[in-house]
Amino acid sequence: MDLFKLAKYPFIAEAKEWVKNEKVSIDEILFDEIYERARVRGIERVRQAFERGFISNVALLNEIDCMMEIFSYPIARMIVVAIDNDYLLRRYALAEAKKAYEGLKEEEFEFIQMIAKEFDIELDGNKIHFVDYLKYAPTWDIKWKLVNKKLKAGYVFIRKNEVARILQEAIRKKIYNELVNLFAPPEVKKAFKDEIMEIRNKLILKQKKEEIRKGEIKYEDFPPCMQSLISAIKSGLNVPHVGRFTIVTFLNAIGQSVDEILKLFSSSPDFNEEKTRYQIEHITGRISGTIYATPKCDTIRTWGLCNATEECRGIRHPLIFYKRKRRRK
Amino acid sequence: MNFLRKKFLEYYLNPKIDFPVRFDRREYAFILFEEDTMHRHISFKSKEDLLLYLKTNVPAHAYYSSAYYRNPSAETMQEKQWMGADLIFDLDADHLPNANNMSYEEALRAVKEELEKLIDFLIEDFGFGEDELEIYFSGGRGYHCHVHNKKVLDLGSQERREIVDYLTGRGLDFKEIIKEKRIGGEITIEIDMEGGWEKRIADAIIQFFEDIRKMEKEKAIKKLMEIEGVGNKTAEDVYNSLTAERMRRIKAGLLDQATAIKKILKPLVKKVAVSLYSQTDEPVTADIKRLIRLPGSLHGKTGFRVTKVNVDKIEEFEPLRDAVVFKDNKVKIKVEKPFKIKMMDEEYDLKKGVAKVPEYLAVFAIARKFATIG
Repeated sequence: MDLFKLAKYPFIAEAKEWVKNEKVSIDEILFDEIYERARVRGIERVRQAFERGFISNVALLNEIDCMMEIFSYPIARMIVVAIDNDYLLRRYALAEAKKAYEGLKEEEFEFIQMIAKEFDIELDGNKIHFVDYLKYAPTWDIKWKLVNKKLKAGYVFIRKNEVARILQEAIRKKIYNELVNLFAPPEVKKAFKDEIMEIRNKLILKQKKEEIRKGEIKYEDFPPCMQSLISAIKSGLNVPHVGRFTIVTFLNAIGQSVDEILKLFSSSPDFNEEKTRYQIEHITGRISGTIYATPKCDTIRTWGLCNATEECRGIRHPLIFYKRKRRRK
Repeated sequence: MNFLRKKFLEYYLNPKIDFPVRFDRREYAFILFEEDTMHRHISFKSKEDLLLYLKTNVPAHAYYSSAYYRNPSAETMQEKQWMGADLIFDLDADHLPNANNMSYEEALRAVKEELEKLIDFLIEDFGFGEDELEIYFSGGRGYHCHVHNKKVLDLGSQERREIVDYLTGRGLDFKEIIKEKRIGGEITIEIDMEGGWEKRIADAIIQFFEDIRKMEKEKAIKKLMEIEGVGNKTAEDVYNSLTAERMRRIKAGLLDQATAIKKILKPLVKKVAVSLYSQTDEPVTADIKRLIRLPGSLHGKTGFRVTKVNVDKIEEFEPLRDAVVFKDNKVKIKVEKPFKIKMMDEEYDLKKGVAKVPEYLAVFAIARKFATIG
């Protein structure tokens, strides 16, 4: 693969191999002036991921540009790991994955196929094996549910940008899992002392803000559908996907934090903190930017989650139910 | 000794067990006669050990885990260490909307239809080979379908739930499936006939219209008006529009009559979908650590054997003949609750009081608590 491609997708195995073959020491990378550009770009990757949830592209005009871009990736990773904050790890992994997605959408099918192979994804032209699809597709979004896709002989038919979206999730998972198991060399904390401190402070501030945002929440004021979803989840019953989605959008809309919503799910029989947190953060727009709206009563009924009582009369949206009840007090 | 237990012991002295693959990685569980608790977290190093357990303890119900564990006999999930799980579908009469009004035999027949739908989905849509599917009569009110394919082993429960949603049509978004197009004032629906739910719905629509066309007008109108939201006028319009030319267009994927079609969609989806769970309980398939009846063991509430059914022999399979293990020597029983049943191709109509019946029927009646030993 040429250097330009490696610079665009620095997380692939071949890029890692390239860095290794350059035989540059940690000390050189962190302190030698000729790598100053890579360090500036490295900290930029982290800042943009934290502040905007997205990493912008830089112009890659020659091989030196590419080299600096490739080196900036391991530098950024070391900084993120040194800051040692799970929220940042997740946000950074997603931002890198999203950057890759924007690029992959425009690539030739052959190249996409090659990347898919690296993730052990069975991709055959515009078809993907349903098991790989289920592992990575955002199926909490109704458009992506398997039932709404053309599935034939084990393969799901998808468009090129959908393949890119699936790869985005595979990339995010890979980067996150790598970061969790990575240790930052102590020199990193020296080289980026100020930057690490600054981002850490911002993270603390952000957490405090979230705590203030939530007001007092009364369970008795919830509409019956939400009440029964909550009690089903709390008693450890397997609640269908759409049910989980619905309750998350609702709790988010009335101001619960990700951690509080997460606590609700911790009694689920198949509770997986990392995965659940990621999904909650996605649905609530914490890392994705898109906040999913709470479904209206019609939809909830179609999903078989409605158990309306007398109090629901004339109400078309669960949030209206909640607001009316609160106003009456 | 209790009659049922004695009969079960006779069977377990020389049983026909189909041992699950990765035999020693499974957890086994048993319910013994006259006990309510389940003995769990049991594992066996060898097949002989399991056979010995059955012989010695004579369980009323025997189960094994769909999951594989590093330490199957550990007591907590954490210590067990989950390694993967078979994909299993549980079809039970209790999942059918009108199961309460059916006799045992009717319910079993209805479940068999669901089974055939399931298999068609698994082969056509999910691409599993016939040789990867293993079907068992559960001994009770349904069938289990096990899928053996290495790609599905480590699927988590959310992913498995997506498979269930696909089979049951849950979350189906008509807007995604059916794309409306306006051609010269009339709304037409364009359908992709190649595969997936879109094709299944299209096939159902075509079948439905073909059936309507074959009916006399009066009957056809009545049938159409059974659909919620279809009045006399719409019914008549639809009926009159079903010319040979129209049928050709429909088969090519162009569905005119968009309004009427949208109304028949919902009932058709129900017909196409597989009934895998009822409104109140959640699908077994999504549970990655559930227990399933041991193939070849006996069901304590019927005395029937959990019996393998060949995929290409489903049609011929008669549970009340092929899952019977007991003999036909006569046994005296006291019937407390009258019942009718066809077993081993014989019709029985039992009234209250003492009766002499074949042993297999005595086992069934006593297990079901319709009778006691006379």
